[in-house]
Amino acid sequence: MFFEILSMNGYGIYVWSSFIATFVVCLYFYLKTKKTLKKLEKDFIKEAESLSKLELENLKKQKIAREILVSHSKN
Amino acid sequence: MIKYLNPSYIFNLTGKILNIVKFFIIPIAIVGLIFSLFLSPKDYIQGDTVRIMYVHVPSAWISLLSFGALSLLCIINFIFKIKSLSLVYKSLAPIGLTFNIIAIFTGSLWGQPTWGTWWAWDARLTSMLILMFFYIAFIMSYKFIRDPINSSKVCTLISLAGLINLVVIKYSVIWWSTLHQPPSVNLMGETTIHISMLIPLSVMLLAFLLYCALIFLMKYRIETIRMKKKGLK
Repeated sequence: MFFEILSMNGYGIYVWSSFIATFVVCLYFYLKTKKTLKKLEKDFIKEAESLSKLELENLKKQKIAREILVSHSKN
Repeated sequence: MIKYLNPSYIFNLTGKILNIVKFFIIPIAIVGLIFSLFLSPKDYIQGDTVRIMYVHVPSAWISLLSFGALSLLCIINFIFKIKSLSLVYKSLAPIGLTFNIIAIFTGSLWGQPTWGTWWAWDARLTSMLILMFFYIAFIMSYKFIRDPINSSKVCTLISLAGLINLVVIKYSVIWWSTLHQPPSVNLMGETTIHISMLIPLSVMLLAFLLYCALIFLMKYRIETIRMKKKGLK
């Protein structure tokens, strides 16, 4: 039964390779994108922290900047 | 209407949609895989190789759809200069390229047992390969051209030329005698694929679309943060 599923009448190598390659590419792309996003969020916060108090207050007034700062502190 | 095009509104929305997509993607992908690998029937001629269709066809559709969408966005952005649209097409292009490569690779794996060759310079295969070059040129142009106005112009030009190629891809199996089979699923005409294969194909398409949404939303956030970071300096 297991061997039949694996071999797929001799076509298993083609079928499984297609699915595994697609899965690997998708997983790699997802992890790479996630890593870039986290890194950018971290860098953004680092740069925001280096601002003066007044500049930081002004930055927090911007919706996107505020959400980045909040979302990163949640994770 | 203007509210919906506001980058801060979109950015806020992406966070909420990301959580919904993350919740649904894994169960749908598992159902799709079970259907396509184990429950769907074999083809009476191709046997089990037909299962490759469940990754090959959605990938090809998504790569075509992405290019169509980014071309449209480029044209609108070129005319109306809407800042958030450039973020959208920059987020969309790498997804389209990835699925284009998956479609070519899985097509090659399907071609060997079916046609007896990994690759043939036939109209459909060649035009899909050309689409890959259009994607690469498009990504290179917004990555390496610093001036946003020039970059937008080049992107629009590439996408317009790529649109012609999309038409060639669509009709290649009708205009020329190709190894590739004619379409079995038609939105406007008769669908010749059996329902027992159409269901797994639809579930896999849904899983792939959710995956695209996931990556797209993350990429959109990346591009927005990059833009904001420039403003900090």
